[in-house]
Amino acid sequence: MSDVVLRGIRKSFGEIETLHGIDLDIKDGEFVVFVGPSGCGKSTLLRTIAGLEDITSGDLHIGGERCNDVPPAKRGVAMVFQSYALYPHMTVAENMAFGLKLAGVSKDEMKQAVDRAAKILQIEHLLERKPKALSGGQRQRVAIGRAIVRKPNVFLFDEPLSNLDAALRVQMRIEITKLHRELKTTMIYVTHDQVEAMTLADRIVVLSAGNVEQVGAPLELYHHPRNLFVAGFIGSPKMNFIQGTLLSGSETLATVKLADGAQVQVQVDASRGKVGSAVTLGIRPEHFVVDAQGNKIAGQVIAAEHLGEATIYYVHVEGAQDHLVVRAHAEHDAKAGETLHVGAAPSDCYLFDDAGLAFQRVKNS
Amino acid sequence: MAVVLDKSHRWRVAAAHVGLICFIALTLAPFLMLLSISLRPGNFATGELIPTVISLDHWKLALGISYQGADGQLIEPDFPVLGWLWNSVKVAGLSALIALLLSTTCAYAFARMKFAFKPQLMTSLLLLQMFPSVLVLVGIYAIFDRIGTYVPGLGINSHGGLILAYTGGIALHIWTIKGYFETIPTEIEEAAKVDGASPFQAFRYVLLPMSLPILMVVFILAFINGINEYPIASILVQSQDQLTLAVGSKQFLYPQHYRWGDFAAAAILSGLPITVVFLMAQRWMISGLTAGGVKG
Repeated sequence: MSDVVLRGIRKSFGEIETLHGIDLDIKDGEFVVFVGPSGCGKSTLLRTIAGLEDITSGDLHIGGERCNDVPPAKRGVAMVFQSYALYPHMTVAENMAFGLKLAGVSKDEMKQAVDRAAKILQIEHLLERKPKALSGGQRQRVAIGRAIVRKPNVFLFDEPLSNLDAALRVQMRIEITKLHRELKTTMIYVTHDQVEAMTLADRIVVLSAGNVEQVGAPLELYHHPRNLFVAGFIGSPKMNFIQGTLLSGSETLATVKLADGAQVQVQVDASRGKVGSAVTLGIRPEHFVVDAQGNKIAGQVIAAEHLGEATIYYVHVEGAQDHLVVRAHAEHDAKAGETLHVGAAPSDCYLFDDAGLAFQRVKNS
Repeated sequence: MAVVLDKSHRWRVAAAHVGLICFIALTLAPFLMLLSISLRPGNFATGELIPTVISLDHWKLALGISYQGADGQLIEPDFPVLGWLWNSVKVAGLSALIALLLSTTCAYAFARMKFAFKPQLMTSLLLLQMFPSVLVLVGIYAIFDRIGTYVPGLGINSHGGLILAYTGGIALHIWTIKGYFETIPTEIEEAAKVDGASPFQAFRYVLLPMSLPILMVVFILAFINGINEYPIASILVQSQDQLTLAVGSKQFLYPQHYRWGDFAAAAILSGLPITVVFLMAQRWMISGLTAGGVKG
C-alpha cells in the first residue's frame, strides 16, 4: 500500500501542453476519482502515474519514492484499461498469472493467487477460457482479476466500466466498492461519468483542460463547488445558471436581480461582491419548487418528461443559459406552452461572481 | 438464405462458373504441360498433352537413379538434381528465417518506437529496394568477392554468401509486418508493461504470438523468393555441387541440346518444398487471433 504524491506535474505532447502543473496528495488506502469532460487530461494524468507516459516536469512519488524515471513494471501499480486489454492468445488463468510469471513466482503460488482473485470476482468457472469466449462484463472482471493478482500498492482504473451496459455498470460499481473495502489498497479511478465519481470516491478530483478545478469529498463538491465549472459538472441533471446583477450583499444574504426584473435571495457570504456587478445564479433542478412562495421565477414550459418518479420540465426563462431544467413531482402536469412559476429556497441557491468563482454558501450540510 | 433472387440469377451464376473454370484451366495449363513433358519419352517441348507412352526416364535422372537408355546403355545421372534441391531448401529456409527475424524486430521499431526521421527511413527503405537486383549484380558480385577474402564462408561460391544476399531484401517484409503490428491495439502491450514486462518481453510474449499469421505469410514469401531466385544465385554460386535448383536446372538447356524432359522434372521438383512449407504454415495462418483482447 502506498500514498501517491503529485507535485507540479506537467505533460506536453510536442508543442501542446495537456497537463498544466497538477498538485495532488492521495493518501494510503484512499479511493480517488479523477473526473472531467473528455480531453481534460484525466487519462493522461493516470497514464503518467502508471508510467505509460513520461512526465515533462514535476515530481511523482509513490510510497515515498520518486517514480518519474521508474518503468511501469517497478512502480507497484496495476492498471485496468477501458478496453480490457486482455492477452487474446492466453486463457483467463494465464492472463491473470502473466505478471507473476514474469516476476518468476513459483507455479503453486501463481495458482493460489489466481484462484484467490478468481474467487473474489466469481470467475472461477472461466479460468480455462480464452477472452474471445467471454462477455464484456466477464472480460472486465478478468482485467480486474489480473490487477488483483499482482497485489499492487496502487490500483489504476481507466474508465473501466464505460464499455458495459447500464445494468452491468451499476453492478460492477458496487463490486469495485466492495473490492476496495476488502483490499484497502489505494485506488485511482478515471471516469467521465459524475455518477460513478459520486458513488465510488472517497475524494473526487475535478479536472478541466489540464487543470485541477477542485478536490473534495463527493458531497462537498455537490454542496460547495468552488466555481461554475464544478457546479455544472457535479450533479445530474446539471445545475441551472441564470445571469443577474447583485443588488445587495451581506455576510449571510445576497439579493440578485434577474433579467426579467424578478428579485431572488441567496444565502451566501456576498460581502466581497460589488453591488451592481454581474453574477450568475445557480439552482439545481432538484431544488426547484413549483408554485413556490418567496424566490420566484416565471417561464414557459418547452417540454415535459414524465419519468414516473418525477417530472422534468424544460422551461424558457429570460437570462438563463439554454433553458431551465426543473425536477417536479411526478403528479405535476403542466403542458408545453403553459407558464410555470418556480422557485427555490434561498438556502438551496448558489451564487457565482463575474469571474465564475462561488460565493461561500452559508448553509452547511 | 431466403434472399429473393432475380430470375436471371441462375444464368449469371452459371456464366460466372464457366468463366472461372476457363480461368483455372488457363492457369493450370502450363503446369500440366510441364508434367506431361516430364513424363514423355525424349526431350521435346511440344507434343500431346496426355502422353501415349509414359517414360519415367526424366524422373529417374532427376532423382539420381541410373536407367537403361534406348541403345541399351546404362545412363548415369549427370547432374546432382536432389543435391541442388537440398541446396535450394537450405538457402531458402535459412534466409527466410533470418529475414523474418530481422524484419520482425525492425517492424516493431517502426510500428511502436519513436525516433527521428522515421517516415523518411520507411520511404527510403522501400525506394532502395525498388531497383531490380539484376541492375546491381556487378556490385553484389564485387562486394561478396571482397567479403570472401575476409570471411570465406560468406564469399563467392558459398551458401552463406547467398543467404546473406537474400536476407538483404527485407524492406517489403518490414512494411508488411509493420502494417499488421499497427492493427494490434497498443493497450495490450501497455497492459503487459504494467504487468511487469520489459519492452522485449512485451514484444516476445504478447505481440509476437498475436502476429503469427503475418509472420507465416512473410516466411512463405521469403522462402518462395529463395527457391525461385535466379540472377543473384547464378553469379554468387559457381561450382556445380553448390548450385540451387533454379540455377542448376538451367544446365539441362544448352544451345546444342535442350533437354526439356529433364528440365521439366527438375522444375516440378522445385515446387515441392514450397508446397510442403505452405501446407505446414497454413495451420497458423488463421484470422481472429486478436479477437477478444480489447473491446471491438
